[in-house]
Amino acid sequence: MSVPLLSLITFLPLAGVLVLIFLPKDNKNLLYGVALTMTFVVFAVSLFLYFDFDAQSSGPQFVEKTAWLGYGIQYHLGIDGISLFLVLLTTLLLPIALVSSWSSIRDRLKEYLIFMLILETGIIGVFVSLNLFLFYVFWEAMLIPMYFLIGIWGGKRRVYATMKFVLFTMLGSLLMLVAIFVLYILFYKATGTYSLNIYDYYQMLLNPRLQTWLFLAFSLAFAIKVPMFPFHTWLPDAHVEAPTAGSVILAAVLLKMGAYGFLRFAIPLFPDALETFLPVLSILALIGIIYGGIMALVQKDIKSLVAYSSVSHMGLIMLAIFSLNIEGTEGAIYQMLNHGLSTGALFLCVGILYERAHTRQIKDFGGVSKQMPVFSAFFMVTMLSSVGLPGLNGFVGEITCLFGIFASNRVYAILSVSTVILAAAYLLWMFQRVMHGPITNENILSFKDMNRREIGYFVPVVILMFWMGIYPGTFLKKIDTSVADYIGRIKSREKIFVQKGEHIPAKLRLQKKDADTK
Amino acid sequence: MNGFGALAPLLIIVGAALVILLLDAFLKKDNKNYLAYLSLFFLAVCGVFCLSSWNKNLFYFEGQLRLDNFALFLAFLFLLAVAFVMFIGMKYLTLQNVHGGEFYGLLLLALSGLMIMTSSLNFIVIFLGLEVLSVSSYALAGLKGKDEKSSESAIKYFLMGSFASAFLIFGLALLFGTAHALEIPAILSSFRANFEGQLLGLVGLGLVIIGFAFKISLVPFHMWTPDVYEGAPTPVTAFFAVGPKAAGFAVLFRILAPYWNEGFKSGRIFDILWTVAALTMLIGSLIGLRQKNIKRLLAYSSIANAGYMLIAVLAGDGASLIFFLTVYLFMGIGAFGSLIALSKKDREYNDLEDFAGIGFKYPWLGAIFSVFLLSLAGFPPTGGFLAKFYVFVGAVRQGLTPLVIIGVLTSLISAFYYLRIIVYMYMREPEREVNIEIENPALFLVLFLCLYGVLQLGIFPGNVLYVIRQAAASLF
Repeated sequence: MSVPLLSLITFLPLAGVLVLIFLPKDNKNLLYGVALTMTFVVFAVSLFLYFDFDAQSSGPQFVEKTAWLGYGIQYHLGIDGISLFLVLLTTLLLPIALVSSWSSIRDRLKEYLIFMLILETGIIGVFVSLNLFLFYVFWEAMLIPMYFLIGIWGGKRRVYATMKFVLFTMLGSLLMLVAIFVLYILFYKATGTYSLNIYDYYQMLLNPRLQTWLFLAFSLAFAIKVPMFPFHTWLPDAHVEAPTAGSVILAAVLLKMGAYGFLRFAIPLFPDALETFLPVLSILALIGIIYGGIMALVQKDIKSLVAYSSVSHMGLIMLAIFSLNIEGTEGAIYQMLNHGLSTGALFLCVGILYERAHTRQIKDFGGVSKQMPVFSAFFMVTMLSSVGLPGLNGFVGEITCLFGIFASNRVYAILSVSTVILAAAYLLWMFQRVMHGPITNENILSFKDMNRREIGYFVPVVILMFWMGIYPGTFLKKIDTSVADYIGRIKSREKIFVQKGEHIPAKLRLQKKDADTK
Repeated sequence: MNGFGALAPLLIIVGAALVILLLDAFLKKDNKNYLAYLSLFFLAVCGVFCLSSWNKNLFYFEGQLRLDNFALFLAFLFLLAVAFVMFIGMKYLTLQNVHGGEFYGLLLLALSGLMIMTSSLNFIVIFLGLEVLSVSSYALAGLKGKDEKSSESAIKYFLMGSFASAFLIFGLALLFGTAHALEIPAILSSFRANFEGQLLGLVGLGLVIIGFAFKISLVPFHMWTPDVYEGAPTPVTAFFAVGPKAAGFAVLFRILAPYWNEGFKSGRIFDILWTVAALTMLIGSLIGLRQKNIKRLLAYSSIANAGYMLIAVLAGDGASLIFFLTVYLFMGIGAFGSLIALSKKDREYNDLEDFAGIGFKYPWLGAIFSVFLLSLAGFPPTGGFLAKFYVFVGAVRQGLTPLVIIGVLTSLISAFYYLRIIVYMYMREPEREVNIEIENPALFLVLFLCLYGVLQLGIFPGNVLYVIRQAAASLF
């Protein structure tokens, strides 16, 4: 490839920011025009990734590598089957989120668009970086736009929510930074060369005690981001206070960064520590599933209900990842996309309702479907996709996850099925209370159905939901090889430890990677 | 190489200071800005001289004054800092009715002190530089003579500074008593050779370190910092935050880095400084949480940053230390410069409350100030992140991982108070009427250059790092 596709996708939004800065701030159409064009272009370019992606190759593709700061800090981008669709999900949802905020963001539009575009750069950067330093830069830098998005355009308790979000995430990521330092120095001491390349680190075998600490540091960062129980408390606050588009991006993509971090870093790098902590992590994920579901049942605010449903769904994804087999991992990745789509869409629905009613309390609604039949149909499809109805995307993901979990631990599988039951309960109940029944609130009589703009951004989402539910092969075929490779990597490292028995090398040992892999 | 070139930069600066002070008497009050332009001219000439002696290792006075690359790079930093401070001072002086002549003259004198400190290995010469710096600093702090806080700041700085000097002198006496020399390498070799005299020597070394700890505001010698920073005129505060701190750390590094290399790493001094670094970071970030005045808050931030710099000293990592100082120059002066931008005739806005809504009222100022704050908080892709990154990597390499963990946690705590300023700027409705005077181009030039520096050092620091590594290599 001569065109640096990944750099283009990552930094085009920033180019948009540069243009936006110099535009007059009162011209809404122009500002939106520029921002939307930019995100659409990014999406269009990112489609090339899908078509040019070689499904048979397991290594990173579209690799770009240039020296940056020296001493192992390189500008190193690339994607594999795990990150491909997360990038696509981001590029798809950004324009949708922007269109959805056309009428809800009135003040300070220019700044809003600027931060959304910076956010896009940050998120894509996280998914495409193969150098730990670069990854960390994007991971942290992404906090800044999100901090402003929640803090400026959020609800009443926005300052509290945004501070909590930033400080929680920073706590995890700073400890991860220390772990990165340790890895970096260890690699240097073992090999005499500096590297922060993640594929170099895959070759490294660490002393188990050290692994424990490093694994804990990495896991904390990612567990906060996912969020896993008991680190989830920032999520409902951030979600409830964030503007609609912020919630969409937060739920659909930001949470996935945590799960992605486990897949890319925490699990393959520290297999030994993983083995020790696997039961704990699985149980935490299980608690998250059930706790999130039960909390969602009792929420009075629709938005926090959806937020807690995220905790529950992400629990299932994490449990599937911890099952450490092909079905589980593939299901988890697929479910990440599904969750991104359906929870993102749920937040869009909440946004549409909120714009009309200026309330999110379930008790203020009732019988909305009579006034808004089109919206009702879209909302129902979205909700059913989140519940996991066969024929829609959620079903495929959940069933594959459950297969994977079942193969590794039956008890977990049985307990984790509750995610589906609980989801059906809280979502259907919420839907019934909001959309059906008699119209109790007079305001509802004045609700207008979805306008063309709203239908416009919803249609592609719904089409994708059906597509991913009916013909998942389109997506899974690109994921297969990378997942098989990932599982193979974990298993082969487990084997090394089994062969060594209890006598695991006390000091860091480096495999001769050239001899072994070829 | 023995050469007059080693003395030339210093002569230029001292000469300039005297010329400025003299000229001040003949200029009308409205024309004081010419003094600034003249000083800047001298600074530029001095910069050219420094540039031409790069890599030449010049020395003078039989080696008492040596311009190695380390000293030269720091001299550059000081020149840049003083130039920036003069630029941001121009608006401040006219608006707040502060005498211009003394300001420029004293700044140049302080600059000469800084340059003397960093370009010698002899303790007496270093002390000489420190005193030149200190005396001018005391006067600078009290420049707003009619303002109570400014006077308080000057007196406090003077008293504390005198104590520090006394400690330093006493320490030097003890060191001379044990080592019969006042040159850093000679003292070290006496430490190596003679174990009996070590205790007295160690006490001496400890007292010397205390003397410098005052200057660079390490806990528990930091008490004066918030008061002095708050009371002193803001451009002077910016200078205090950057100049003396950098010089103090440079000297500390010159003393201690060879000392660690001699194998005294596990010694008492190391342990004590380890604790001091941890305390400095903790106190700087924890107490900063309670501050309502931004100048005080930035004072605590500078204390916390001193802790990070001390980590670099403990790790013996010269390149990271210099890089940190360089980045800190840009973010520190940038932050204080933003404060100055937010002022009008006879009124400065320094309270957190004043900042409510500023971000949207003055979008450029708000955005630039936010970048400096984010850089201080250590967010990528700013220089502040990279500076901490290099310091922490160097420390982990030397096995200081626990200190690094404390470091990252305190930077989390301090991120809270930096972000709180941004919260006020962007997420609160203004409660007070804040109207600032028309922008001053000189001030905005500095802000822009600082912004450029912070981003350049955060994203593409390659060339600067290359030069810094050369500078650090000249030490050993």
